Amino acid sequence: MSDPLELTRRRFLGQMTTGMTGLALSRLLMSDLGAAVPPGAHFAPKAKQVLQIFCPGAASHIDLWDHKPLLEKYDGTPLPGPVEVTFQGKNGNLMKSPWAFKPAGKSGKMISSNLPHMAQHVDDIAFIHSMTSRSNTHGPGCVAMNTCFTREGYPSGGAWISHALGSLNQNLPTYVSVQDVRGEPPNGKANWGNGFLPARHQGVSMAAQQALRNLDRPAGISSAEDEATREFLRATNLEHAEAHAGNDELRARIAAYELAAKMQLAAPEVSDLSREPEHVHALYGTKDANPLKAAYAKNCLLTRRFLEQGVRYVSLYCASRASGVDGLLNWDAHRTLKADYDRHCPVFDQPTAALLADLKQRGMLDDVLIIWCTEFGRMPTHQVGTTGRDHNPDAYTAWMMGAGVKGGVSYGATDDFGRRSVTDVATCYDFYATVLHLLGLDHEKLTYYHNGVNRRFTDVHGHVIKPVLA
Amino acid sequence: MSRLSLALALLASARVIAADDSGSVAFFEQKIRPALAEHCYECHSAKAKKLKGGLALDSKAGWQKGGDSGTPIIVPGKPDEGLFLRYVRHLEPDMEMPPKKPKLADALIADFATWIKAGAVDPRDQATVEVKRADKSWWSLQPLAKDLKHADIDGFIDAKLAEQKLTRSAPAKPQALIRRLSYDLTGLPPTQAEVDTFVAAHQADARKATEALVDRLLASPRYGERWGRHWLDVVRFGESNGFERNFVIDDLYPFRDYVIRSINDDKPFDQLIREHLAGDVIGKFNPEVEIGSAFLVAGPYDDVGNQDKDAQKVIRSATLDDMVTATGSAFLGLTINCAKCHHHKFDPIPTEDYYRVRAAFEGVVHGRRPVATKEQTQAYNAAMGPLNKERARLVAEQSALTAAIETKAKALLATRTYPRPKADTLLTEEKIAPTEARFVKLTMSANSANPLSGVGGRISEFEIWTDEATPRNVALASNGSKADGVKGANAEDFPMAYSAALTIDGDEGAQWYIGTPAELVITLPRVEKISRLGYRSAKGRILRDNSQGATPCEYEMSVSLDGKEWKKVADSYDREAWSPAHAFERVRKQVTTPDEAKRLGLLGRDLAAVDKRIAAVPKMPSAWVGTHQPKPEPTFVHKGGDPTKPAGQVVPSSLAVLDLVTKPYALKADAGEGERRVALADWITQDNPITARVLANRLWHYHFGTGLVDTPSDFGFMGSKPSHPELLDFLAQRLIKHGWKLKALHREIVLSQTYLQSADFNPTAARADKDARLLWRFPPRRLGAEEIRDTLLATAGQLKLEPMGGPGFRLYRYLVNNVSTYIPLDTQGPETYRRAVYHQNARASVVDVLNDFDLPDIAFAAPKRANTTSPLQALTLFNNSFTLDMAKALAARLDGADPIAQAYSFALQRQPSATERTAAEKLIAQHGKPAFCRALLNSNALIFVE
Repeated sequence: MSDPLELTRRRFLGQMTTGMTGLALSRLLMSDLGAAVPPGAHFAPKAKQVLQIFCPGAASHIDLWDHKPLLEKYDGTPLPGPVEVTFQGKNGNLMKSPWAFKPAGKSGKMISSNLPHMAQHVDDIAFIHSMTSRSNTHGPGCVAMNTCFTREGYPSGGAWISHALGSLNQNLPTYVSVQDVRGEPPNGKANWGNGFLPARHQGVSMAAQQALRNLDRPAGISSAEDEATREFLRATNLEHAEAHAGNDELRARIAAYELAAKMQLAAPEVSDLSREPEHVHALYGTKDANPLKAAYAKNCLLTRRFLEQGVRYVSLYCASRASGVDGLLNWDAHRTLKADYDRHCPVFDQPTAALLADLKQRGMLDDVLIIWCTEFGRMPTHQVGTTGRDHNPDAYTAWMMGAGVKGGVSYGATDDFGRRSVTDVATCYDFYATVLHLLGLDHEKLTYYHNGVNRRFTDVHGHVIKPVLA
Repeated sequence: MSRLSLALALLASARVIAADDSGSVAFFEQKIRPALAEHCYECHSAKAKKLKGGLALDSKAGWQKGGDSGTPIIVPGKPDEGLFLRYVRHLEPDMEMPPKKPKLADALIADFATWIKAGAVDPRDQATVEVKRADKSWWSLQPLAKDLKHADIDGFIDAKLAEQKLTRSAPAKPQALIRRLSYDLTGLPPTQAEVDTFVAAHQADARKATEALVDRLLASPRYGERWGRHWLDVVRFGESNGFERNFVIDDLYPFRDYVIRSINDDKPFDQLIREHLAGDVIGKFNPEVEIGSAFLVAGPYDDVGNQDKDAQKVIRSATLDDMVTATGSAFLGLTINCAKCHHHKFDPIPTEDYYRVRAAFEGVVHGRRPVATKEQTQAYNAAMGPLNKERARLVAEQSALTAAIETKAKALLATRTYPRPKADTLLTEEKIAPTEARFVKLTMSANSANPLSGVGGRISEFEIWTDEATPRNVALASNGSKADGVKGANAEDFPMAYSAALTIDGDEGAQWYIGTPAELVITLPRVEKISRLGYRSAKGRILRDNSQGATPCEYEMSVSLDGKEWKKVADSYDREAWSPAHAFERVRKQVTTPDEAKRLGLLGRDLAAVDKRIAAVPKMPSAWVGTHQPKPEPTFVHKGGDPTKPAGQVVPSSLAVLDLVTKPYALKADAGEGERRVALADWITQDNPITARVLANRLWHYHFGTGLVDTPSDFGFMGSKPSHPELLDFLAQRLIKHGWKLKALHREIVLSQTYLQSADFNPTAARADKDARLLWRFPPRRLGAEEIRDTLLATAGQLKLEPMGGPGFRLYRYLVNNVSTYIPLDTQGPETYRRAVYHQNARASVVDVLNDFDLPDIAFAAPKRANTTSPLQALTLFNNSFTLDMAKALAARLDGADPIAQAYSFALQRQPSATERTAAEKLIAQHGKPAFCRALLNSNALIFVE
């Protein structure tokens, strides 16, 4: 008993057989079982979990959230200043939004009539209308909106938060990425990657259409065989660990197999949407005739179940990559804005609004911070020869809602036409500095050494956007 | 302190020392100190909120050290040198001091000049600048230490251990030793026979047996595969371009093979580095050498077609940044890249240094080109020359003949009129006599981009309107109709994309991509009387060009009641032709004489024959080695790292940070492209102590799991300091002495007593040094990603060692639909049973086993792998089909009288213990050998080495 190393080892083995306490287990779960506990919060958090809803393809701020009356007035006239050449080429005249904006909620917030269900939530949302991006390209833009860097290889928000705060649950991943039925967003896995953080912090892909990989007991192996194999493995590993004192990693691996077995039981349970009553399915629209909407609605419902079970960070995607069929796969409306968004808005609107309402009604917004992201905005002009809009990294909208967020607020503003952010200009650094703040983390203190630099999530930038805090 | 200084200053002035003596303390106290305090301290003193530019002016040491550039800002006696006066005189653009304020009074500036000229006397020499960053005295920037205390590795190790009152452990047992050495040097387990032979030899003569084993392993081709993989980590080798498109690069593998071959051949490493940077210059027409320069283009780069000019500059800047970063970290252990936007925050690297290195790469462009010998090139040119000539002659004759026919066609066309307008991308519509139809067919023979075929066109909507007062579009899927047509493009993970169904979804946003045959059939749920049909190609309503794909323009429309007998109801032939080329096609046959037709036929035949011969000429070998602009753009420092804000121009030259320990060079601004890289390569490899130190440390890192410096690509302030500085310099000197050949240094390291000691645990030693950084034992380790997969294959008897090299295998499905998607394979066939070093690692892809066990994403160099333990690893190794396949294969190998002993022998090269045997017997009896093998392949014993 006098040897502290020995003590740790014995305690560990004891726990292996008797079962761990909730706290010990949750700290170990999905964590590097050989590594130290997460560093923890810097101050009292307002939020414990994050739901990120990501609409890839550059969802147009001026057609969804950012009402520009002058754009309507000057429709068809040139944007003041020289003709601009942006990502895909030359721009034409100003083009008003094909949809009217209508006031909603007590706040009277103007929102696109193409989002009738989302309109019910405006009083709970803090809009940030003055976002700007460093990239005008989808892939780097998406990656930047998740990692604060335009190139790949940096940890995504969920990975940083997993690193900082660890897990909240006992048998599910800390960070789940729920992808759209249409595929992965631009730059794919880099959006939920661990970057240079240890692999355990990566987002794990799970969706209604896609179970957790390698989770199921392999076909053709009975549960009796599976359990007997585990039992043999456990015994042989324990014998090996006994013979190799002083190597914590060996015991950590034994624990990893125990936890994997628990996950094997828990994950299918949480993914089983048939446990939800009909009226909940109806609220989300999981059985809608539009297969894209139904698929996204299922993912929304699944997301709520993940959050209920204490998944720390869920990123939920609505749409996928840039594609030859951009009107179909994501919000990248280069040529036919009206046709494209008449397709996308109905997919997004009701299920998302239902998810927000459901979280609110269950009191989960006390813990869950909701953030809505896209990679950049769109031009107020139409692209020459089209009825669509080109990329606009100089202005876009993102928003927050839920734990610690003041509702019914609009922060920052774009110019008269939505071409550029001009008032209280904000960046992804500010956005995530605020997210970290709500989680009790100081974005300047959360660091990780990598290749010569103590890296921060917010690079060397960022200010907490205080007006959106409750 | 400052208050005391002030008191002293007052005292000094009270004594009324003549202040006109510019070399006196009094001059400083009366004129200089107050001015510094008033104008400079706000940003450049201990009181500053943030020390600007790293420059302190509240101590002598501060200006002697200078700011982030590490250059003294004042040179005593020389007012013209040092930047201080230039700043206050506003001679340096963007560095006018004090900033955003009027220039200081001329009299005061004159005082500064006088003071400096008189020797810059400064009594503030007690104050020291707190070390928050490295300067040029930083340990790694020094020459290699001479007069070392010990003559071998063990001497250095033992001395450090003794300081902590520790000792080395006893020698390792031979069973453990051969497993350790086999994995370390080849990445594979030994066989039972190899173990038995070695154990016997070891008992006879341990030293001799070990030396023989090491020599055998170093001579094995497996050695290059193992150590080549290490090096590929260091040089951020990845086989896709990353960023948004992330296309696989299929011809970069020759670089991987080159690395493995070079390491197996024990090529001197200074030579290897030279080849990495300038192989194409020093080895022109020698593919073996030239391929080395693929190093430059083995990193990620953005190839998206950005039209925004500023964005293009940013992309180019990031592309070159990758080369600078890779060069600095791999060869020099310096994070030069941190000086891109400002002087390095922690190391004495001025931002100019960054751009000096960038200048060496200014002309390098990502891409592929032939890499061939002179003979191959000549032979190719000799073969192609006459064929190209022949082809040109045939084409010329064909063009002349066609032109003559076209002239006749024009004349004929002038006599023709087409009453109806041409097809329209917005809507090409036909009004027909009311007719009953259940089936409607559109057959296309040309589209706006191709007068000869309808394939490749696009349709967003097809409409069929009923003949009634309020016509209905009965083509819509919502009406119960069905569209059949082959699609000409595919998005594998989203089957609906591009399909003919999109023509009747009532949405103009997405198009059917027309495949072969170019035919669309709409089936209505019931017979309808129809009078109007048409199709739309444009996705919007204002576009009339080909930018959204071509629209069909020559077509026939037919209807049918039973889908067998068709009746033509409309065609395009009385419409205006889409273009002169389309019009020509309509009359081509009529105006061509039989002779002309015959001649054209012959020409076509001859052309095909020539093309066939051209295709038969062996292509020159080509690879992804990059191309080079002979006259690179000038290189400018970018203010704040922003390429749209060029500041001063720099020339290709060495890093000023190392000018005390290396022989600096500076080329002319217009130096040739190749010359720049050769100069950089020479400077890095000739008498550069940093390069040898960094490389020696990498060897140590891979042998012991932790480097003497445990940040192997960062020897700067943010990196860690060496645990054994003298040993590091000793190893660097040995490396140079061995002519930069690694094998000799490996031998020295693995034959040291330090390496040969046991990995046994010792609680007392562990309390002093838990991780054995001081090496009181050999540090045990978990196998790496590739080793684990290779070990499973080897244990199951499935590992294929041939082909050794060539195109890699993939553990993912590669889907391209404008951008790339990587989907891990659900089953891994025998074609994947090669060593993992041959896996075609794509950026931002995740595959089973390898990525779970910390194979890094290759967005960055990975000088050090993570080593994590997680439930996801357990799920993968326990449930993935690969493990199950290996378990079955191993079970099939257990064909002897004692299968359990066989299994332990294959997997662990030892006999089972009594309890293991009992448990195994029970498991096999209940569930068979594969279950037992599955457990064994998951066991800790398999994937840990000691």
